[in-house]
Amino acid sequence: MLARARTFAIEGLHARAVTVEVDIRPGLPAFNIVGLGDASVREARDRVRAAILNSGFEFPGKRITANLAPADLPKIGPGFDLALACGVLAASEQIPGTSLQEHALFGELSLDGEVRASQGTLAVAEATRKAGMRMLLLGPARAHEALLIDGLSVGAVQRLASAVRVLSGGEPDPVPLPGEQEDTAPAVRHPNLSDVRGRAQAVHALTIAAAGAHNALLSGAPGTGKTMLAQRLPSILPPLTREESIEVMRIHSVTGRLPAGRLLTERPFRAPHHSITTAGLVGGARRGWIGEVVLAHNGVLFLDELSEFARATLDALRQPLEDGRVAIVRARHSAVYPARFMLVAATNPCPCGYAGEHERCECSEAEIARHRRRLSGPLLDRIDLLVHMQRGSADHLNEPATTSSEQARERVIEARERQQRRLRGDGVLVNAQMDGSMLRAHLKLDGSAERMLAQAREQGKLSARGQHRALRVARTIADLSGRERVGAKQLGEALAMRPEAARSSRGAA
Amino acid sequence: MREARRGMADPRRGARGSPTAAGICASCARRAWLLGRLSVRLDFRARDLGRLWRLLELPDEQLIEAIGGHRRAELRADYAAWHAEAPDAGETLDGVCRHHDAFPRRLRPHALAPRALHVRGELALLGGLSHEKVVAIVGARRATDYGMETARSLARSLGGCGLVVASALDEGIAAAALAGALEAQGRALAVMPGTLRRCSPAWCESIYRRVVLERGCAICESAPSARRSSWGRVGAQRTLALLADLVVVVEAEERPAELACAHVARAHGIPVAAVPGRVTSPASRGAHTLLAEGARFVRGPQDALDALYDAGSIDSGRLADARDRAGGDARRPEPGYGRSSGRAPTQPLERRLACVLERVGLGEDTLAKLAAGDGDSGELACALSELELRGLLRRGDGGRYLPAGTGHKVRARCAATHRERATG
Repeated sequence: MLARARTFAIEGLHARAVTVEVDIRPGLPAFNIVGLGDASVREARDRVRAAILNSGFEFPGKRITANLAPADLPKIGPGFDLALACGVLAASEQIPGTSLQEHALFGELSLDGEVRASQGTLAVAEATRKAGMRMLLLGPARAHEALLIDGLSVGAVQRLASAVRVLSGGEPDPVPLPGEQEDTAPAVRHPNLSDVRGRAQAVHALTIAAAGAHNALLSGAPGTGKTMLAQRLPSILPPLTREESIEVMRIHSVTGRLPAGRLLTERPFRAPHHSITTAGLVGGARRGWIGEVVLAHNGVLFLDELSEFARATLDALRQPLEDGRVAIVRARHSAVYPARFMLVAATNPCPCGYAGEHERCECSEAEIARHRRRLSGPLLDRIDLLVHMQRGSADHLNEPATTSSEQARERVIEARERQQRRLRGDGVLVNAQMDGSMLRAHLKLDGSAERMLAQAREQGKLSARGQHRALRVARTIADLSGRERVGAKQLGEALAMRPEAARSSRGAA
Repeated sequence: MREARRGMADPRRGARGSPTAAGICASCARRAWLLGRLSVRLDFRARDLGRLWRLLELPDEQLIEAIGGHRRAELRADYAAWHAEAPDAGETLDGVCRHHDAFPRRLRPHALAPRALHVRGELALLGGLSHEKVVAIVGARRATDYGMETARSLARSLGGCGLVVASALDEGIAAAALAGALEAQGRALAVMPGTLRRCSPAWCESIYRRVVLERGCAICESAPSARRSSWGRVGAQRTLALLADLVVVVEAEERPAELACAHVARAHGIPVAAVPGRVTSPASRGAHTLLAEGARFVRGPQDALDALYDAGSIDSGRLADARDRAGGDARRPEPGYGRSSGRAPTQPLERRLACVLERVGLGEDTLAKLAAGDGDSGELACALSELELRGLLRRGDGGRYLPAGTGHKVRARCAATHRERATG
């Protein structure tokens, strides 16, 4: 007897339809699973057998062959257990086989027959809706993710026996509402910008970076508050739009990190340790491994102690920063993931950390040059803002807070709305993503700004790329203050924050 | 084998011969070989500079006697059997020795001076030194960006005036001085602490190449095939001191090795000048000690010129022209550019910019400090950018801004001197 069940396999960030065909023949008892399954799929043999037996059904003592079609798609993870079990039951005529075609089954089985959730529920739910199937049966733990997709009926099944009941025409178990979950994530409270005393210039620069999603580099001696400021960045970023939110949720669902219930509004904030490997940062360690840059999509990637990161690892950031996506190409698989994020990095200006403090820097020229070399190149080229943080005076902790997160966030949201109105037809959402042609179209420089730009160009202080960078930042500064045209004042401010290495006064001509 | 480990000159050549450069006679070449052979022993004795100078003044036999150690006899035998060898194929070595016409005349009377100099670059520069004024700009190897900027702008002004700017090719102040001289298309003289073959430190390579290619000259006492030695660094300082008409110390720590040039110059009657720094900064302590001991006080190129010539006798017109030729800090626009207004150096500064410039000079040298004091952060940032575009400010380390160039002051003093001479 041949039975067919429908399920899905996660490929990258999307789900592909998989048909589980189960064939039972007389012969020596055997249970073979074919179809390029990985180790968890091979172990499903034992799980399915135990689950069927413990659920009170009979496990046929014949030659059972299960094929996960299409046979050239590698199958990863234990999510095929439920479909395999139902296929075996249908092939041995313990449940009707006709209803199997209309239901999608997804979930891992424990040995006593309980259905567990598997990663990638959101992607599977989207694919189920697209395939036009009647109902998706899955474990209750992650069923709330599937509820976010409109136009799909979701059936939670606690045990294998419940799934059999549904397939035989019964009702599914109730889907637990988000409030009843054990793993409800508490509402995340980010540190507030009002904790920062003084540092008006740095807070202002951070606001500009947040408003236009510009990449920023915080440079300063140890203890000047670089990490503290960066950690307050999420509190002033605008919330995710609906499209951005679905993209982020799909990514987090595939890695099993999606918190309960509602649509995500918080932008992701990823801060990997500097010992991270290249594979950890961009992905590709094994099939299905997602790197930090993809997890930071539509959010912030914060690299603290930038000079401690391996050079090869930083070089791997080139593609995501340039294209907004990362393509993993290996011998056996290739995938393209979205990775459009805002890069914020913190570093010391020299190995001892005190360059620029009048007497304390003890580094020789060679050490400073070597330190700069680690950061140079394509990465520094894509930084739009350089913020210097100095040690404050003795009583700077008594200064009042410059602003609070709420006020800064309002300004950022207003500026973003202006940008979105302006850039609506161009397919980008923020100033940092404007390319040369968009700059020419949308940037309105007045006379004094044009003169200043010409002067900077003729003095050789700006390359072409540097020019575009300064213009983008100037456009964001104008948006923050509600100006339509970009004047010399905005351009001058953008030029003051440009990330040029201060190589001119040191040594080499 | 042991010879090679001791760091002898290339063992393939044999212990009894070395390649000679054209222009160096056999006895001077033999001296260069001997110094290379004894370099480890000289390194050891370089800790006491006075002793090192006395040793370098000794003729060959006495030198072997003094520091030959227990291998004296072997050394004497090698010395006697030394012969000149042809240089490597494809490598051209230029040099001058005492007996050559082009040897700098000012070095001849001193016993401390090197007997032979290997040269790369413009040989004519070396020969014409007797008609030129040479300013040596020396200082700390670990310098602050204030010191680097001061040395650079001083060298640029003096180089633009037509003086020869000399310095060791080493990190810190020395490299900044040579860079400044090259910027002004002046003539740079680099005294190499290592050998001519390889520039050390390696990242000064670009300066070395520019010095050699752009009408400058690099000289070295050690033969190109000799090993790198640490006494070579102070040796270069003494060569520099003896070649100079004025030694300007920009920043120096209070260590004998850093002040070697100044001490040698003072001992031989060459004027020494120093640029002050912050009194609390350890980087300037040596310079302050020199000032306390009577060195001339230098704030800018005009003071250096006054120290070199007598005050007031400089041709101020020549200085003003030379400054224009050097380009100052604001370049003229290309013709037909259109919109840019081409700011000439004489345009007066707007009030708000002059105010910010003054505040930076007074010590509020970062944007954060300026914003903490008074004013809107955006306007201040814009003012700093404008001043940077005009060339009046330069970016230093850690987000600090440094006043750059002393163009205005020099012109003012020139004009004043010119008026005095016209009336009085």
